[in-house]
Amino acid sequence: MRLLNISRYPGQLVMDVVTPIVFASMPILLGRASGGANAEEVFAANTGTPNYVAYMLIGTSVFTIVSFAFWHMAYWLRWEQETGTLEVLYLAPTNRIWVAAGTALYSCLRSLLAATAVYLFGSLILQVTPFQGQVGLAFLFILVGLIPLYGMTLLYGAVILKVKEANALVNLMQWGVTFLMGVFFPVAIFPPLLKFLALLFPPTWMTNGVRSALLGIGYFFGEWYLDLAVLWAFLLVAPLFGYWVFSKTETSIRRNEGVGQY
Amino acid sequence: MVSPPIPVRVENLGKIYQVRQRKGLFKSEKRSVEALKGVSLEVQPGEVFGLLGPNGAGKTTLIKILTTLLLPSSGQAWVNGFQVERQDNQVRATVGCMLMGERGLYWKLTGRENLEYFGALYHYSPKDRKRRAEEIISLLKLGEIADRTVETYSSGQKMSLAFGKALINDAPLLVLDEPTNTLDVPSASELRAIVRDLNTQGKTVIYTTHIMIEAETLCDRVAIIDHGHLLALGTVAELKASLNREAVVHVEGAISSRAEESVSALPWVQRATRTSQDGGALLTVVASGGGVNLPQLIDALTQTGALIQKITPEEPTLEDVFIAKTGRTLAVDTRA
Amino acid sequence: MNLEGQNLSPSLIASLSAFWAMVRKELIIMARYPVNFVASFGQVFLIVAVFTLGGSMFYRGVEGGSSGGNPSGVVVYGFMLYMFMGDTLWAIGYNVRHEQVQGTLEQLYLSPASKFANLVSRVANILIWTGLLTITASILMASMIGDLPVENIGLGLYVMAFSLAGTFGLGFAFAALTLYIKETAQTVANFLQFGLLVLCAYFFPFSALPDFVLPISKLIPLSYTVDAFRSTMMGFPPGFPELAPIGFEVVLVTVFGLVMPYLGYVLYRRAENHARRRGSLSAY
Repeated sequence: MRLLNISRYPGQLVMDVVTPIVFASMPILLGRASGGANAEEVFAANTGTPNYVAYMLIGTSVFTIVSFAFWHMAYWLRWEQETGTLEVLYLAPTNRIWVAAGTALYSCLRSLLAATAVYLFGSLILQVTPFQGQVGLAFLFILVGLIPLYGMTLLYGAVILKVKEANALVNLMQWGVTFLMGVFFPVAIFPPLLKFLALLFPPTWMTNGVRSALLGIGYFFGEWYLDLAVLWAFLLVAPLFGYWVFSKTETSIRRNEGVGQY
Repeated sequence: MVSPPIPVRVENLGKIYQVRQRKGLFKSEKRSVEALKGVSLEVQPGEVFGLLGPNGAGKTTLIKILTTLLLPSSGQAWVNGFQVERQDNQVRATVGCMLMGERGLYWKLTGRENLEYFGALYHYSPKDRKRRAEEIISLLKLGEIADRTVETYSSGQKMSLAFGKALINDAPLLVLDEPTNTLDVPSASELRAIVRDLNTQGKTVIYTTHIMIEAETLCDRVAIIDHGHLLALGTVAELKASLNREAVVHVEGAISSRAEESVSALPWVQRATRTSQDGGALLTVVASGGGVNLPQLIDALTQTGALIQKITPEEPTLEDVFIAKTGRTLAVDTRA
Repeated sequence: MNLEGQNLSPSLIASLSAFWAMVRKELIIMARYPVNFVASFGQVFLIVAVFTLGGSMFYRGVEGGSSGGNPSGVVVYGFMLYMFMGDTLWAIGYNVRHEQVQGTLEQLYLSPASKFANLVSRVANILIWTGLLTITASILMASMIGDLPVENIGLGLYVMAFSLAGTFGLGFAFAALTLYIKETAQTVANFLQFGLLVLCAYFFPFSALPDFVLPISKLIPLSYTVDAFRSTMMGFPPGFPELAPIGFEVVLVTVFGLVMPYLGYVLYRRAENHARRRGSLSAY
């Protein structure tokens, strides 16, 4: 139903694709102007690949998935609270897990379609070959990374239900994760503490995994199956942890002001 | 001596909206909706003037034109002597309005801050704003909540604050659109008492309502609007009398046929009908023209030995007036 | 009926007092969203860090740094104008729309307060709030990218002032559009912001743009505000300004700064009257 609904907003669907491509072109254009003739070489020395266009595009494509996850999941809860329908949801006999799963499925589908479109159109506009390296492996990193990502958004959604300033929080978190996952740069340049923090986020492993599969920049632990194993570990832990925090927050809200308290 | 300006004068006022009606996924059709059709009326100084009509009748359109929120399509209107289109700022400065209920408040400001802010919009000095806000808080008994943000208020409290906002500029004309909506019974009663007080102090009030008892008890004159037309205008008594309906009263108790004859003989009684019922009788008395003379009726009954248990008068209501004029009840939504 | 107590012709002081009350109201409301307040600074820091670190991948570790001009000046001064453009374009229109939905726009129209003052009060808030964010972010960016050249401060401030005036005029025009198209304005604002981000080269030199894009950039007055401002503040390094001689650009920016606010206000009042005819001042 939500997919049908969004199909009636073609402008929004276009923006979903155009915005990330524009984001990617910012550092590309700045870099080309600042880097001069040696831009590719310098870039390769800093990141492991001279293909800076694909590097940036992969970053923004994964960013698209992350952004959608936060807006559709974390913000969705607050939106339901604001419009008064969260209470209705709680009054219905349907388990909330299924409702959340339904929203997550919609978000996944929409974000995967958008991210793919971003990568393909971006490659066309910026003139790079989109499908190089191990495409299947890249896709596997994305799929495995999705579930822990949504687990994270559920955790964050709990924070938003409590604090209530949804727009500001989602924007901040979205950019925070974007920074930590290294959307336009490798996290190796971070100081040790920041690097450790970055590695606690599933999107960081997703981004690096896709880049390594397609551009060969190198996995964190040297081999693809080791990095993938870390993502599997996140897959097992993150959703459970996210749901646990969400349940606790929900109970606390019901005990105090009620879920409908806007 | 210059006579005071008439608070409201409306001449042949018309308003046509252009609306778009969807026909399927991609097609839509433009059509015109005539919300007001040549309405003319005057509101006299110092009266409480009621506007009655179902949803979509044109009441809010009329009020919005008078308060300069809406521009008319035809006709003219003057408020406090100022033409609503050409002298809109003077109109705004001399009217206090409560038009959209609990909407129109800043939720992140406290009640006091809201009142002081709106006082600023009426060009009150900072000192006068504070004073005026305090007066209103005191009048409406909002002291306990005045320094909390509006987002924490209940619906009723927001309505009270919205009413307070209408009083902020101490205007000679108040326009109140269903001000007791969502208020509980005691609060609604208190608000009506305040309106009555303000009217006693000389303020003119335009009051729209769906609630008959409000119009009947509060308003000096009432205008009935339906489908953009002004159907009737007069005092409540005049409007009821215009029905030319018989007044009826039911008397229950121990009533003999002799009592029935005695009542039938009264000059103002058209007919009196006695029916037996459990434990006594029911006497239905129909009066012609002028209404029921209750003291005479009671005399006629008691002198013939009747024992009266209950007297139930049956009078036409404003709703009856509305039904007679329009053929529908007030509950029917006539929005186009 | 006594009209004596009514303020039919408010004095200048009374009007200024009303104006200050409008500004103060917005500041109070902003302060009561503490998370938003903190998050705005955090978000700006993160956006700056993301883009500048990304750009630095092209010259990081190279002796002498960037070979294509001073990226610090290009990015920081462009960023300053972008912050105001983004906030103005979106904030004024969004503010008007938010008040329309909330019902407080109608309240404003029920009062005799100046509508022009109301628009300007939103501008004043943006100047205060965005100004703070811009200064913070600029210091941060300069520390991350490198030394920031600061030259020709007088002319730079002149260009900035007229650039801002023109941008605010655009904001009024956009607020007018918001009254017409309501929620769709958000999509349009996003689209415009991103389009202008590229076409007006806020974060990179115009020389980085593809050849077919440059003629389009030259048609947009905002491009000249960006070029003139950063060229002036960087002390006119070789190749700057990029679009036209500085004299021409300063004249163009001045005209933009004088004409656009007036045009924007006229469009806004027209949209307002249209809303009054349609009865959509509180429509949502």
